[in-house]
Amino acid sequence: MGRDTPLSADQDVLVDANIFYAIGRPSNPQYHRFRTAVQHAGVVCKLPRRVIGELGGTETDRVRTALDEGWAEIIDAPSPTDGDAVAASDIARRTIASETDQAEHEVEKTDAILAGLAIQYVRDRSTTSVVVLTDDQPAKKGIENAVRAQGYTDAITVYGLADIIGDDPGDSMRLI
Amino acid sequence: MTPDRDHIHPDGGIGTLNPPPIDVLNEETLEPETLAENAPRLETVVELLNRPALARVYVYICYWGPVAPPEIMEALDLSKSTTYEYVDRLVDLGLVDRDDSTRPQQLTADPIIIVEQYVPIVITPTVLHALALQEVDEDIEYFVDRYGLGKLIAALRGAGLHFAGTTTQRMVASDIDVRETEAMMIIYALKPALAVGREHDPFFEYLFPDVHDEMDLPNLDEMADAPTDSSDPDR
Repeated sequence: MGRDTPLSADQDVLVDANIFYAIGRPSNPQYHRFRTAVQHAGVVCKLPRRVIGELGGTETDRVRTALDEGWAEIIDAPSPTDGDAVAASDIARRTIASETDQAEHEVEKTDAILAGLAIQYVRDRSTTSVVVLTDDQPAKKGIENAVRAQGYTDAITVYGLADIIGDDPGDSMRLI
Repeated sequence: MTPDRDHIHPDGGIGTLNPPPIDVLNEETLEPETLAENAPRLETVVELLNRPALARVYVYICYWGPVAPPEIMEALDLSKSTTYEYVDRLVDLGLVDRDDSTRPQQLTADPIIIVEQYVPIVITPTVLHALALQEVDEDIEYFVDRYGLGKLIAALRGAGLHFAGTTTQRMVASDIDVRETEAMMIIYALKPALAVGREHDPFFEYLFPDVHDEMDLPNLDEMADAPTDSSDPDR
């Protein structure tokens, strides 16, 4: 483990499904780097059932492996019907719409939901802080804006994959 | 007549005919002789699209040529007989030029581009590369098996927009009508086609006129095992 990651054991780490696709299959060096970083920090990635999507098909071996190895778990996050969560999701949706040049109703609900979940998590649980990992730039900005607007900047941090395992050096990529 | 976007399906097909102006076709272009001259071109493209293993060799020569057959064998992990079979076929199709004046022979290939503006469909080396990757990437193989080439091109475009930060992966899923996890999987699987294409495909901008220089992708120059570009005098 040659690299510091911003993860630590006293955090709840909410992970968007795309992180698991960004790191590739379990045989991929990127997958190894991510698993090492997570295990080294002593955290278990929480995958909210709402954002992991429908599990099934060959594309899910990477999630399945993490669940089987115990460094990821699927959580049943509380349904985002309370005011804070709805407000946060609305801010995220507006940001994503503006970043992607789409109408607000075109924004996928799930993309905006992580913002609400993060705020509920930090409010309803006693963990010191919540980390949200997503590999989608517009979604990342959406969560950041929501967190800022709701005054949780000290408690919630949003990271991309590169923040955890560094920029992709491309060494895991078969070019052709 | 303006194209009606509502009739364009996610797989690139169209629901109703939206024909180009008839004056594209005239006595000259419809001359049997002209059609006969153009026939090999059509068959060439059909063959490339239907034979990803052949397309893979073509793309390799096009991007990294001039190259010699042994380099192709090693880079693509092909047997000697397979390599020569593909090279011979590509030479027959007029896609690859063989220079026998040197030992070993040197192969080069011009990039091809096909734009059908009325559908629209665009095929460039980046598209052929994406298609060829199914030979070595099981995620792409799965996707093409399940959804076909047209949707792979749609996914390629969506992947480019994702890496440029102008769409989310779930929006791509919804746009091309596949499951969210399938969209996430194919977006990352197509990364090599985008990373190489933006450096080597002269027609990359045709596919990404809006975001061709905004994608956050690994830089090939920093990769130790990237095939060397022997046509580039700076290396």
